[in-house]
Amino acid sequence: MKPFANEPTLELRRAPARESLVNALRELEPKLPLSVPVLIGREQGAHEGFESTDPGSPDRVVATAGRATEADAAAAVEAAAAAFPAWRDMGADARAEVLVGAAQILRSRRLELAALQVRECAKPWGEADGDVCEAIDFLEYYAREAVRLEQGPDLLQVPGERNTMRYEPRGVCVVIAPWNFPLAIPTGMTSAALAAGNSVVLKPAEQSPASALALVEALREAGAPPGAISLLPGFGEVGAALVRDPRVHVIAFTGSSAVGLEIVRSSADTPEGQGHVKRVVAEMGGKNAVIVDSDADLDDAVPAIVKSAFVYAGQKCSAASRVLAHEGVADALLERLSGAVNVLIVGQADDFAIDVPPVIESDAQERVLRYAELAASEGRIVGQQAKIPANGWFCPPTLVTDLPPGSAVLRDEIFGPVLAVERVKSIAEACDALERSPFALTGGLFSRNPETVAEVTRRTPVGNLYVNRHITGAMVGRQPFGGNRRSGIGSKAGGPDYLLQFVEPRVVTENTMRHGLVVE
Amino acid sequence: MEDDPGVEAELGQVGRALYGSFPQRSRNPVKALDARAMELASQDAELRAALFRFVDVTPACRSLDDLARHLSGYLSEVDEKPPSLEVAMRMAGTKPGRAALGVAAAGGVRHMAHRFIVGESPRKALPVLRELWEDGAASSVDLLGEATVTEAEADRYAARCAEALDTIAEAAPRWPERPQLEADSLGPLPRANLSVKVSALTPHIRPDAPALGREDASRRMRPLLRKARDLGAHLHIDMESLDALETTMELIFELLDEDEFREGPSAGLVLQAYLRESPNQLDSILAWARETPRTPPLVVRLVKGAYWDHEIVEARQHGWEAPVFEVKAECDRNYEELTRRLLDARPAVRVAVASHNLRSISHAIAYNRYSGAEDRDVELQVLRGLGDELGHALAAQGFRVRVYCPVGDLVAGMAYLVRRLLENTSNESFLHEQAMGVPLEELLAAP
Ligand SMILES: Cc1cc2nc3c(=O)[nH]c(=O)nc-3n(C[C@H](O)[C@H](O)[C@H](O)COP(=O)(O)OP(=O)(O)OC[C@H]3O[C@@H](n4cnc5c(N)ncnc54)[C@H](O)[C@@H]3O)c2cc1C
Repeated sequence: MKPFANEPTLELRRAPARESLVNALRELEPKLPLSVPVLIGREQGAHEGFESTDPGSPDRVVATAGRATEADAAAAVEAAAAAFPAWRDMGADARAEVLVGAAQILRSRRLELAALQVRECAKPWGEADGDVCEAIDFLEYYAREAVRLEQGPDLLQVPGERNTMRYEPRGVCVVIAPWNFPLAIPTGMTSAALAAGNSVVLKPAEQSPASALALVEALREAGAPPGAISLLPGFGEVGAALVRDPRVHVIAFTGSSAVGLEIVRSSADTPEGQGHVKRVVAEMGGKNAVIVDSDADLDDAVPAIVKSAFVYAGQKCSAASRVLAHEGVADALLERLSGAVNVLIVGQADDFAIDVPPVIESDAQERVLRYAELAASEGRIVGQQAKIPANGWFCPPTLVTDLPPGSAVLRDEIFGPVLAVERVKSIAEACDALERSPFALTGGLFSRNPETVAEVTRRTPVGNLYVNRHITGAMVGRQPFGGNRRSGIGSKAGGPDYLLQFVEPRVVTENTMRHGLVVE
Repeated sequence: MEDDPGVEAELGQVGRALYGSFPQRSRNPVKALDARAMELASQDAELRAALFRFVDVTPACRSLDDLARHLSGYLSEVDEKPPSLEVAMRMAGTKPGRAALGVAAAGGVRHMAHRFIVGESPRKALPVLRELWEDGAASSVDLLGEATVTEAEADRYAARCAEALDTIAEAAPRWPERPQLEADSLGPLPRANLSVKVSALTPHIRPDAPALGREDASRRMRPLLRKARDLGAHLHIDMESLDALETTMELIFELLDEDEFREGPSAGLVLQAYLRESPNQLDSILAWARETPRTPPLVVRLVKGAYWDHEIVEARQHGWEAPVFEVKAECDRNYEELTRRLLDARPAVRVAVASHNLRSISHAIAYNRYSGAEDRDVELQVLRGLGDELGHALAAQGFRVRVYCPVGDLVAGMAYLVRRLLENTSNESFLHEQAMGVPLEELLAAP
């Protein structure tokens, strides 16, 4: 296999690349709504039960999906358990081939899959294309990682004994995925589990079943046995049933803190007959801050902060929602940020000329608007784009400052286009503020002083710190991604440790002495 | 396409004559920089990085103490420090030492900036513009500024441009006659000349949505075009990175096509020879110019391109094919090919050849002569601070020269300054080679 390289995103500054996407959407449109069945091993279950809709135009149905039941969950785990031994025994090379094959299928469908995200999740073009590329990256990256892992590490050897260590897959892995990276994140968790030799039951978010179907189709077409990858479109109750199932070994979850913590609690149970302790890998919420030092170059900081906070309407777990600005630049920064927020263009995701698309659903819109109102009553709104389309789950991008220290706007994950600016007297004070937050996912720093960079690097607990750039858009293999503290448990996606969470190490020590001779 | 041997021979003569009229010290412009730092910088990559980071941060530092701390922070990352910088590091250890170091360092940066920036405002730049004119060089004023991220900033930049046009156009008629700069075979040439950047006229430059920035910038560009037309000034639209190219080109084509601008002002655009697609861009420029005849004709400024590193990094980070040539000689050859095509395309366009490369400039002069045109039918352009000596030499020999003159304060000018310093010390740069003492015959050899 060639060494891993990130899948290039489309060069959207060129008109033909843009046209290719617009054409793909035009071709997809008449096929909607797509049909997403429950897929359990070789069996096809229900085709109907719920719908995914276009957040920018909620009457438009993007997919009709079967609603998996608790019985389906049990059947899918059964199928996964049955498929596991053969998949495990295929070996990493053969499994890697399947993953790389699936990557190739996604590559050949990339335009259509990006168009699907534009409709199903209102993900803007550049982001949707990036999402598909990231999915391809995960498949290619974990395929190689699994081959590497299969070699096992080198151990110390002394005469008369032979020590070997290898990694064995754990068994059935449940993947519970979010909608905000409707292809990339399910692909990441699923491909890691599969590459390492586990079988998978995938429960995608109810908002984005069609993107998940594309993944399962690609994997099966590339040669994954149907039992090794089942698809259970549906709601929380299926997820909960999967997490409870005693035959499940690993739960890989990305989503809200509330659900993540519930999974941790529920999976800790070891009922009679369950011969193992479940392993949970969870990526949860964040409350990500960008620190701006007095020597920051605002020409760089302002666009980077705006991008971090408002691209995809702030619906990335890595998105910025706080800015801690040194008092030496706070006024200038606020003035420029507010001007930059005032010119944001809110509109439909299929329009290249927008900055902020709608949020995913009406509940999300309500939540964001509630926080925006709270921000207005507790603090001072200094930037807002109130021109938003009437139909669709749009929210005005909002910049607020002068909030009281205890404000929920500064504390909660809003997951929407609301950004709060706070003033600090020093960078140490900014670090103290981050120290108090239970979240530690991403963070940003704008400073041109090497000493400040070193100090903030040392002090911030975040999983991913970005210096002098935007804080979203981690790339597989380049920015292994994941949070610390209550933002996540487990090691970083797209990094060299990730697969270790899906395997069990086994060490064998063999005595090679017989009758005083070393018989190696 | 290869040049006729006659062109090569002429080129050699032109190049040697120009070189001969450089003042002695200018054969080594890097050494001529009073800041010895530049010389050190071009020899040691770490030191170069440290110095440029320092220059870059200078206007953002709150105090001399802060400035000195930054300087020592950067220098501490340099492994092998020349003795003078070891002294600086030791000074940074105490508060009075930092104050002294801060004063010295701030002075150094200001000094450097003055080489490249002619004044804080158009009014303050007037004496320099007049002096250049008297010495036989026209000018184009460029207003430095911070990036435009808000409407207010775009409006402010547009207002500064309007004011600059007024100021220069008001003063220029009082300059003495300089026939060599005032007309070519196609007619008179405006004295007042302003270069503007589209990205400064709108907060909406979006590479994936060029129409957005184009429409917004057009609103602010139209009044400037009207003003330039009414004042009889020339308005030149600079070219920036590839991310703004489509926005910029379409804006120019669209605006100049509007009825009210058919008869003026004199306007121009830029073609960047480092772009692999530049030959095709020239096709569209010439096709447009022929379909949309203007009086006065469109001016095309041919450059190599100022964003080479940026384009390479951007492409590498995204896994894209680099849009620029990666071998310097290919860029230089393309430059000569585009020079020929542009000169051959007259009178549909006027041509300005902007370079500090003696070979590139001599080639344009030689080809122009060889094609039977007068010297005044090609404009030669240099940047203030980098091309001063070449500019003088060209003016002294009676060529039509224009000096690009950045105007603005230190804060606004820093990004520009750093880019110019980087260019000056880059290993691939002609000025660097010249400074390193590469023999004239090699400097003039075909790329
Ligand atoms: C009056 C004037 C106006 C200008 N206006 C603009 C403008 O609007 N937009 C703009 O982009 N630039 C502009 N420039 C800058 C110009 O593009 C060049 O950066 C600069 O003049 C250096 O080129 P040169 O011919 O003087 O020197 P040279 O030393 O001959 O060439 C250096 C140039 O070669 C190119 N290069 C360097 N390394 C490589 C490589 N490995 N492979 C291929 N190519 C390489 C780069 O473009 C670099 O700038 C202007 C320059 C002048 C003099």
